[in-house]
Amino acid sequence: MLDAFSRTVVSADAKGAAIGSDDLAGLRKYVADANKRIDATLAITQNVSCIAADAVAGMVCENTGLTQPGGHCYPTRRMAACLRDGEIILRYVSYALLAGDSSVLEDRCLNGLKETYLALGVPTSNAIRAVEIMKIATVAIMTETNTGRKMFKGINSGSGAQCQDIAAEAASYFDLVIEALS
Amino acid sequence: MKSAVTTVVSAADAAGRFPSMSDFESVKGSFDRAKARLEAAEKLASCLDRFTNLAVDAVYQNGSYVQANKDKCVRDIHHYLRLINYCLVTGGTGPLDEWGISGMREIIRIQLLPTAAYIEAFIFIRDEIKINDVMSQQAETEFKGLLDYLINALA
Repeated sequence: MLDAFSRTVVSADAKGAAIGSDDLAGLRKYVADANKRIDATLAITQNVSCIAADAVAGMVCENTGLTQPGGHCYPTRRMAACLRDGEIILRYVSYALLAGDSSVLEDRCLNGLKETYLALGVPTSNAIRAVEIMKIATVAIMTETNTGRKMFKGINSGSGAQCQDIAAEAASYFDLVIEALS
Repeated sequence: MKSAVTTVVSAADAAGRFPSMSDFESVKGSFDRAKARLEAAEKLASCLDRFTNLAVDAVYQNGSYVQANKDKCVRDIHHYLRLINYCLVTGGTGPLDEWGISGMREIIRIQLLPTAAYIEAFIFIRDEIKINDVMSQQAETEFKGLLDYLINALA
């Protein structure tokens, strides 16, 4: 598993060069944005069940056959598995966001996920839709553009509008999940 | 590769839980020290060749080592300083441990190179070169800590 720092080290080692000023600029930004990054991660961890439940509910609303007998979310045991997987994906996205690198998400979550779903008969198109909704909800909570109250308590006093860059990074991790499933 | 963040994430993943408040605090603690580390890495990168040559020249000029080995010594000292540069960036001893220390003594011995010359060179960099001229006090402390770590591993 890598983070933003060790990712720089591994690519510098491949060239056999020491890490100089140019490569360090990106890392300095990562360090300077540490508080925002922690806040953005908190936005996920404090709203896990909400994000996952909304996404699965949204997926079912758009395709009501899923919860009917014969549907993929029937009986409730299968619906519960769906909610559990939503939370697992959110957990790995939160790790990747904290580390500033996608390797933990790719190695430990996405590697073989599509094959597993195909083997279990999970329809990947519906799974992708749920991930899309999770992405939209997460970004909205992070940037405080959700309707209603602010949904997380960060360690900064700053507002969610300052989390735009980090929220875009989080969205890119969800995109990786979608890519892996399609 | 081991760093403050990956250690925290591995532990959280092993327990199947989300990162907790104490995890965030330990990550934040490592970021607070990161400024000195990154400065040390940057300055070391710009002085890598100079430090290497100064140290090897000093060690080989007194004639106690075979001059034919000098080039190899330059190459290796340069390599180790580069790994120290990586360690300063990651904030852990991962790169030195994984790429520099495991199996290193065997490799030096099989080439019939004197380990003592390496140790002398690193001690020269630590004690004789005025590192303070190129980097701040805190950055110097971070750099010397890693030099000490390497010297102990070689000895």
